[in-house]
Amino acid sequence: MNLHLSKKSGLRKRVALVALAGTTASLSFVISATAGAGAASNPGFALYAAEGYDTAAAKAFNATHPGFTVTVNDNSTGPLLEQIQAEGNNPKWGVLWADGSAAFAQLDNEGYLVKHSVPNVKFNALGKENVPADDSFTPTGLTVTGALCYDSSQVSASQLPSTWAQLTDSKYKGMIGMNDPSQSGPTYPMIAGVMDEVGHYKKGSTASAVAAGETFYKNLYSNGIVVNSTNGPTITAMESDSIQMATIQSSACYGAELTSYPTMRVKYLNYSIALPSVIGIDAKASPVVRADAQKFVNWVMSPAGQHVMQTGDPTGDSLFWPVINGEKPANSIIPSLASTHAISLDPYVWGPPEAKINAWFDANIANDGL
Amino acid sequence: MALGTLELTPATSPPASGPKKRRTSLGGVLIWIVLTLLIIAPVMCFILLAVSPRIFSQGSQWFTFTFIRQAFAGYSGRAIFNSFWVATVVSLFAVAIATTIAWLVHRTNILGRRFWTIAMWLLLMMPTWMMTLGWTDLLQPFGAAKALGINTHFIYGEFFGPTGIIVVLIAAALPFAYFVVSAGLQGLGPEYEDAARIHGAGWRRTFQTILPIIAPAILSAFAISFAETLSDFGVAFTLGYHSHFPLATYTLFSAISNFPANFSVAAVIAAVLILMVIPPILLQSRVMRSRSYAVLSGRTRAPRRREFRPLARIVATLGVAFVFFVTLGVPILGAVVGSFVENLGIFSTTGIHWTLTYYSQVFHPNISGKALGAPLLLSNQLGFFVATGTGVLAVILARRLIASPGSWSQRITDIFLLGSVAIPGVVLGVGYIFFYNLPFITNNVANIYKTLPLLMLALIANAVPGQTRFMAGPVSQIQPSLAEAARVHGASRFRAWSATSLPLMSRVLLWGWLLTFTKTLSELAISQILYPPSQEPAPVAIQSYLSGFESGTGTAMTVLMLLEMLGVIVIALAIYRVATPKGWRRIGWTGAQT
Repeated sequence: MNLHLSKKSGLRKRVALVALAGTTASLSFVISATAGAGAASNPGFALYAAEGYDTAAAKAFNATHPGFTVTVNDNSTGPLLEQIQAEGNNPKWGVLWADGSAAFAQLDNEGYLVKHSVPNVKFNALGKENVPADDSFTPTGLTVTGALCYDSSQVSASQLPSTWAQLTDSKYKGMIGMNDPSQSGPTYPMIAGVMDEVGHYKKGSTASAVAAGETFYKNLYSNGIVVNSTNGPTITAMESDSIQMATIQSSACYGAELTSYPTMRVKYLNYSIALPSVIGIDAKASPVVRADAQKFVNWVMSPAGQHVMQTGDPTGDSLFWPVINGEKPANSIIPSLASTHAISLDPYVWGPPEAKINAWFDANIANDGL
Repeated sequence: MALGTLELTPATSPPASGPKKRRTSLGGVLIWIVLTLLIIAPVMCFILLAVSPRIFSQGSQWFTFTFIRQAFAGYSGRAIFNSFWVATVVSLFAVAIATTIAWLVHRTNILGRRFWTIAMWLLLMMPTWMMTLGWTDLLQPFGAAKALGINTHFIYGEFFGPTGIIVVLIAAALPFAYFVVSAGLQGLGPEYEDAARIHGAGWRRTFQTILPIIAPAILSAFAISFAETLSDFGVAFTLGYHSHFPLATYTLFSAISNFPANFSVAAVIAAVLILMVIPPILLQSRVMRSRSYAVLSGRTRAPRRREFRPLARIVATLGVAFVFFVTLGVPILGAVVGSFVENLGIFSTTGIHWTLTYYSQVFHPNISGKALGAPLLLSNQLGFFVATGTGVLAVILARRLIASPGSWSQRITDIFLLGSVAIPGVVLGVGYIFFYNLPFITNNVANIYKTLPLLMLALIANAVPGQTRFMAGPVSQIQPSLAEAARVHGASRFRAWSATSLPLMSRVLLWGWLLTFTKTLSELAISQILYPPSQEPAPVAIQSYLSGFESGTGTAMTVLMLLEMLGVIVIALAIYRVATPKGWRRIGWTGAQT
């Protein structure tokens, strides 16, 4: 009995020692976590990014640029912008990298972005179209939104519409899906692009173009368009045969075709909307951070950076068209950019009405006219 | 007497007659300072934006009611109304089912009584986003049910609507209600049932007799279920959104995830959610004041179990098993089966293909640098510290909560804690940015924004209210005379506590620790907002897969995380069994089963 107790007591001691060792190891984790914050003379900067290849890019950059470290806050565009706005005048981000230039234009208008930060590279035509006049943000690549993705096992190419106007035809009733602009970053540019086109916007107030666009989307709503939150659920709806086609982002369709959805195909209607992935530097950061951030932006636009962008997320965001002369798309699945009939939007015109248009869409289209 | 607002009846000696002298202790002040830094200041920073957006440079108005009108108009107003009625219906069902199960487990001879209690703990630990994922994987066209040869087409449309929302939310609220009602039932001696039966009452009439006696526990269960349901985001974001059935937490999230963000409307919605929990508490107070419900006494005898006949016993057991199958089994089954099916949800002419690819991708992912290993390790480390910190703070708070029963101090603490339960994680997360990123705080107090310590603090703040209410019951059942006796015999304060209270509470402390650990492991809303760059916790990493085209990998990651949770529970219980004296294990159940 005594022996039994002694054994048990020894076991308890060992367990206590293990627990103590675990606690010590965990404490060292906290101490190192706290000590790491801002201890170095050059702390590097935080990259706020919503690109599939952002972690790979930061890793590759850190490996070749000793002296400071780029850390990544990888999130969806919405939460990143929410954090930037909440941080306000005491920002913790050094570089923002996300799809769509409308939000960047608004950040630029509010003085959040360093001007003249665009690296000296040779942009192609669509690249040039997406560089702002004050060089406050840089297009790093291009996808298009408003691509018509369809399930070729359910619909043949000959049955598809060829223009946006045909989407409202009753023969496509209940067959088409799209994303919700308040959830999906690439969707507002698509809606704005449609408004720009159907309203024949030239310059000045967007009111009449917005009104024409609202009428178009109301017609689509009457024709049974199905709105899901983001690319994932919309493609899932196609997979489960709830819808047969959807107007979404090109890279999402190609990614699905390459991975889980081999019967997915893409058709481009009479126009699609260019959606640049955009990078900008925090104007309110310290000079040291701004200088480091500029090095990172320059590197992203270099051949090494472009290579990481094209390989970091091979079945997702890496499926883009380069905006630099001489660079080719990463995968042969991507057709020529000319076949997409992509148009570029002025983000300084279509950025400001974003919240109002999204609210209208949510109330009238996405949520059954609530 | 576990999680809810209960008649906290500590076994103290009656209060001395005559006016009580008010005194402010240093400990009390310290606790409120800690609570202010953890919860009150960040949440108030956020709530202030409802009427004064300019205070944090989020608009031009210093004072306005505009956003209150906006929050109650149209889609957002509908969401607030939906949240209210859904929380009411869910709470009613959760309390009814929980009361029935508690009675069956504690007062009858149904089979597997201990197993059902453990199953209830597992249900308590499972986050709603995991439940929804499992249900979706199972029921979607060409989903896991189809892979098992079951046609669920008829239920698919029903589930993706208010019905599904209510079912999942009932499953989430059920354990909270169960543990509160169980405590009430266990404190009730058999004499009331005996009296009813002597007067010729059948089982139904007996049940009706007992119910009013445990009314405080039932009302308490209702209040905690109501608050938990109001603050849930997982269901609102998934089922609620996709079925076009808006709930307040979703519209709150939507208001701040738009660009530019409308923090003010979100703040109004947050304030409404917090205020909504006051009526259930007031109702409970009113009922409590109307007559005495004191049934606990030194003479309370152990309850006698009702012996069912064999057939009735099997039927009752099957009934309980069915509830757990629906609430716990179905989502786990859906997620597990879904993680082994290739291209789940896609029609295939060649039938179902089973695969291990997704498990391979967990560690060798398609997206460069996005493996689960490092995030999962980080989440475990976070869980360890958050659970430990929360446990210490919760015990201290629980002791203060029961120190002055019925007083204004207790009532305010009670309302504060329940109100905090109703705060959605996203509000706490954004509130932390506003408060801890203030130049005054970063320059003069602590520059910890976007660091792990701040994320830990936020996670502790998120867990403390529920954990405190969880601890309050067991703490209130401990006779203070035990510690007093130890002190009289020369023990230090800590020694007195560790020799008397600790053994009595050991198991409930362990389960409380496990509850916070597992909840931290799966917490998404706060982690997504506050995680330090390049230090992604596991739920954030998993979410990036689930929301993209790699949902199979995300599901496999979720299953592995569930397994890990289960593993930690088993290891912790094994350590407890080996490392603690036998006496602790015998008496350490105070409050744990309840």
